Amino acid sequence: MKLGVLSADRPLVWMLPLIAMLVAFTIIPLFYNIWLSFHEYAPFKRRLEFVGWENWRLLFSDVRMWEALWTTMFYFGVVLTVELVLGMAIALLLDAEEFGFGVLRTVLTMTLVVPPAIVGMMFLLIEDPEFGVLTFVLDSLGILDKSTPILATGSTALWGVMLADIWQWTPFMVLIFLAGLRSLPPEPYEAAMLDGASPVMTFRRITLPLMSKVIAVAVLIRGIDVFRMFDYVFVMTSGGPGTSTYTLSLYSWQQTFSFIKWGYGATLSLFTLVIILVIANLFIWLAKVRW
Amino acid sequence: MATVEYHKVGKSFGPVEVLHNLSLDIERGSFVVLLGASGCGKTTLLRMTAGLETISAGEIKIDGKVVNNVHPRDRDIAMVFQNYALYPTMKVRDNIGFSLEVAKKSKAEINQRVEEAAKVLNLSELLDRKPSELSGGQRQRVAMGRAMVRDAKVFLFDEPLSNLDAKLRAHMRVEIRQLHDRLKATTVYVTHDQIEAMTMADKIVLMKDGNIVQEGSPDDLYDRPNCRYVAEFIGTPQINFLSGEIISDGGQAQFRADGTDLPLVEGYAAHAGRKVTCGVRPNDVRVDPDGHIKGRLQIAEKTGADIQFHLDIDGSEFVAVAPRATFAPVGEEIAFSMSAEKMHIFDEASGERIEV
Repeated sequence: MKLGVLSADRPLVWMLPLIAMLVAFTIIPLFYNIWLSFHEYAPFKRRLEFVGWENWRLLFSDVRMWEALWTTMFYFGVVLTVELVLGMAIALLLDAEEFGFGVLRTVLTMTLVVPPAIVGMMFLLIEDPEFGVLTFVLDSLGILDKSTPILATGSTALWGVMLADIWQWTPFMVLIFLAGLRSLPPEPYEAAMLDGASPVMTFRRITLPLMSKVIAVAVLIRGIDVFRMFDYVFVMTSGGPGTSTYTLSLYSWQQTFSFIKWGYGATLSLFTLVIILVIANLFIWLAKVRW
Repeated sequence: MATVEYHKVGKSFGPVEVLHNLSLDIERGSFVVLLGASGCGKTTLLRMTAGLETISAGEIKIDGKVVNNVHPRDRDIAMVFQNYALYPTMKVRDNIGFSLEVAKKSKAEINQRVEEAAKVLNLSELLDRKPSELSGGQRQRVAMGRAMVRDAKVFLFDEPLSNLDAKLRAHMRVEIRQLHDRLKATTVYVTHDQIEAMTMADKIVLMKDGNIVQEGSPDDLYDRPNCRYVAEFIGTPQINFLSGEIISDGGQAQFRADGTDLPLVEGYAAHAGRKVTCGVRPNDVRVDPDGHIKGRLQIAEKTGADIQFHLDIDGSEFVAVAPRATFAPVGEEIAFSMSAEKMHIFDEASGERIEV
C-alpha cells in the first residue's frame, strides 16, 4: 500500500499533531512569558511597555515574594515528608494478602478522583470554626480553642491547608509504593531472614535501597505538584489570614489577575519554574541510585 | 554443627500433597544430598528445613529441638539459593558480611572474616562490586561466601551449581566438598544431578514423588539399587535392562532372556519362574567373542577415554563400554559377557530388587 507522506519512514509526519500542540500550548506560551517578563502593562496607556530587567530587580527586592517563597518551601517540605513517610507506612501495611485488603487498595484510589478544589471545600467545612468536625474534635481534646479558628489563625492556617493536601495525595504515594513493593524479588528477603535480619533491618538495608528509584519518582512527581500548589489555598484561605498562606503560585496569580501586572506575574511564574527545575534536577542528581 | 531429623514430615499446597510422611535422620557434620527429578519435593523439603515453607504434618528437629514454629531468623541456618538471592543493592563485601552485621559483630571482625572468605573463594578483587557487575560463577561464589562466614548449625544448598557451565561446575563441586571437610558443618544439598550427588555426598537420599526411594552411601546406591528407578537414576551411561525370567537349571539359577541363558549368583534358584528385569551397567559389560549375548552395533560413540557401543538386541537398546582401542564396524554383530555379581535383578511387576 502506498502511503506517500504517511509512510512509516517519515516519523515526523506522524508526530506533527503532537508537536503542533506542544508548540501552541507550551513552547509559544513559554517564550511569550519570557518576553512578557521584560515588559509591563501600563493601565493608562493600555499597552505593554518594555521595562528591561526592572521586573527581575523588583522580584528580588520584593518582601512578599520572599515570604511566599518561604511559605511554599515550608509547605513543600512538610507535605512531601508526611506524604512520603505516611505513604510508605500504609503501603507496607497493605502489602499483604489479608482479607479485605483488595477492597482497601481500591478505596484508596478514590481520593484521587476528587478535584482538589472540591477537597479544599470539604476541608473548609471540616475545619469550620462553628460546625467543623475537626474543630470540634480538637476543641474537645483541648488542643485548640474555638476562639482561634484553624484557618483564620496565622500560626495554624497553613497546617490546615496541608491537611487537605495530605489527605488527598497520601493515597497516591501508597499506590506507587505498593506497586513498587509488589515488584520486589522475594529471594533477598528469604536470604535476609536466614541471615537473621530483623524486619526493621530488612526494611532499612533491603527494601529502602531497592525502592529508591520508585521513591525518587514518586517524590519528584509529587514535589513538582506540591511546589506549584494553588487550589487548596485559593479555596480555603485565599492566602490569608494576612499573607500567611500565600504560596508562590497564589502570589503570581494575585499580581497577574488582581493587580493586572502582566509582566511581574509572568516574572514570578518564570521564577517558580526555575526553582522547580533546580530542585527537580538536584533531586534527580542526588537520587541517581545505581544497582 | 547439628543433627537434623525429619519425623513423618508432610507438605501440602492446597489440595496437592507434595511430601508424604517422610522420615530421615541427618548426622552431625555429614554431607547429605537430596537427589531427585524436578518436582520430587526435594527443594520443598529443604525450604521447610530453613523455615521458608510451613510444615503441614510431622516435625523437623534441629539438634533435637522441634523447629516447626521457629522463625527462619532463629533457626541458625545458612542457605545458598539456586538463583543466589544476593542483595542487589549491596556490594559483594556487604552481601557476604550482612549476617555478621546483623549479629552486631565489630567492623574489624566483619572485615577480617569477609576477606578470609573472599580469599578462599577467589573474590578478593571483586569485594567492591555490585552483584549486577558479576558473572554467574562469581555470583555463585558470593552466595557461597555469604554462607561461609556464618557459624551456622546447618548449611543448606539448593541446586547451587545448576546455572554454571560444566567446567566451573566440576571445579565448584570440589570446592564445596573441601569447604565441608574443613568446616565439618552439617550440610543438606539438593540437586537433580546424580554426578554431583555421587561425587559429594556422604549419604544420598533419592526422592521420587514426595517419597524417599532409597538412602545410603553413593556406593550403596550404585552397587545395590533397591529398585529399577534408583538403578536408572544413578550412573552414567544409564544402566541397561533386559527382560526375562529366572529359571533353575539343576539347582543353578539362570536368567533367561530370548533364548539366552546367563548364570546368576547363588540364591536366585528359589525365585525360579519369576518374571524379572535384569539391570547391567554399561561399564560392567565386557566385549567378549565367547560371550553369550549378541547385539548388532548401531553406533560407536567415542568419549575419549573409552568407546560406547550402542547395540540393538532384538529391538531394545543396550550400551556397552569398551576400551578405546576396541574397533568394530557399524552393523557388525558383537558378542559380550557380564559377570553374575554385576547383574541386578528386579521384579518385573513391582520394580523392586530381588535380594538373595
